[in-house]
Amino acid sequence: MADRVSIAQARIDQAPVVLKAYGLGSCIAVGLYDPETGIGGLGHMLLPCRPVKNPLGSESKYVDAGIYQMVDELVRAGARREGLVARVTGGANMFETAYQTLINSIGSRNARSARETLAKLDIPLVGEEVGGNRGRTVEFDLASGNMLVYCARGIEKVSL
Amino acid sequence: MPFRELNNVQLDTLKELSNIGMGHAATALSQMIGQPVYLRVPHVTIIEISQVPEHLGGAEKLMVGITLQILGDARGSIMLLFPEESAHLLLCSLLGQQGEELVMNEITESALKEVGNILASAYLSALGNLLNKSLIPSVPLLAYDMAGAVVDYVLIDLSQSGDLAMMIETDFTGDANQDFAIKGHFFLLPDPATLDIFLNAVGGPHG
Repeated sequence: MADRVSIAQARIDQAPVVLKAYGLGSCIAVGLYDPETGIGGLGHMLLPCRPVKNPLGSESKYVDAGIYQMVDELVRAGARREGLVARVTGGANMFETAYQTLINSIGSRNARSARETLAKLDIPLVGEEVGGNRGRTVEFDLASGNMLVYCARGIEKVSL
Repeated sequence: MPFRELNNVQLDTLKELSNIGMGHAATALSQMIGQPVYLRVPHVTIIEISQVPEHLGGAEKLMVGITLQILGDARGSIMLLFPEESAHLLLCSLLGQQGEELVMNEITESALKEVGNILASAYLSALGNLLNKSLIPSVPLLAYDMAGAVVDYVLIDLSQSGDLAMMIETDFTGDANQDFAIKGHFFLLPDPATLDIFLNAVGGPHG
C-alpha cells in the first residue's frame, strides 16, 4: 500500500493522504508536517543513533539520521522548513525489565533521540505519546496534520 | 557471510539443520500437550527487515510471541509465534480449561514462556550436539500484541548488521484430527556474523 510506512522506512506525501505505521513496539514513528502546504512525512525508525563508523544500510532505520533525511526531503518537496512541526509516538518497552539490558530500554532511547534531534533542528514537538508496554498503530492524516494513535485490544484512541 | 551470497546447497544445509532441531522440539511439545505434533517442511526466507511483520501475517495481527536470544558459539534469535486461539488452546492443554478466550496473567505468561524455553532448549541442544558447539537459549521474553510490536526487539539486533533478515521457519500443528488444532510458527534467525558456524558444520560451504 502506498501509504504504509514499514520498519526503517520514511514516506513523504501531501494532503489528503493518510500515512500509516503499524505495530510499533520499541520502534518510534516521527511525523513531520507543514500546515501551510499540507506536505508531511512519517518515519518508522528502529535504532536511536546512526553510528559514526560503518553505518550499515538505510538512513531511515536510525532516529537521528532518519529525521535529518526526512527534513531534507520535505524541503525538496516544497514544505517550509520553518513551518515544520513534529509528533512522535511509539518507543514502548514491550518486555518486562526483569533483567536490565541495553535492549530493554531501546524504546526510551529511541524516544530520547527523537526529542534531542528535533530540538537540535529547532522543530517544535507538538504531540507525544511514547513509552508504556503496549504496541501502537499510528495514522498520520496529512489533510489536518493530526496523528491518531491506538493500541491493539484497546478502545481508546489518542489524537496528537 | 552475507545472506544473499548463500547458494542452494548452503540453504539446504540450514533447512536440514533446523529440521533436526525442530524434530526434538516437536517431541518435547508433544509430550507436554499429550498430542502428536506435525511439522511442515521448513523454508528459508531472506527478506528486508522492514518486510518481516508483513511476512508474519501483518504488522497489526495479534499474536503471542516468545523470543529468545541464542548465546554461546553462535548468535541469533529464536521466535515462537502463536495466533491467539492457538495460545489459548495450548494453555488449556497445559493447565486445564482456561475460560473461553486467551487471558494473559502471571500464570499463563509463565506457562507460555516455559514452553518457549523448553522448545528452544530442545532445538538448540540438538543443534549443539550435531555441530559440536555450545548453543544456549537466553531467558525467554513474551509479548501478546501486534506482530510488528512483538518482533521488533528481534529485528533491532539484526538491523545493526544490515537491512536483511534470514528466517528459517517451520510451521507446526497439534493433532490434525481435532477441530481445533494448536498451530505455531518457529523461526530461527541466525546472526550473519556467526552463520558460518552453522554452514561449516555439515560438510561445509560447497562450491
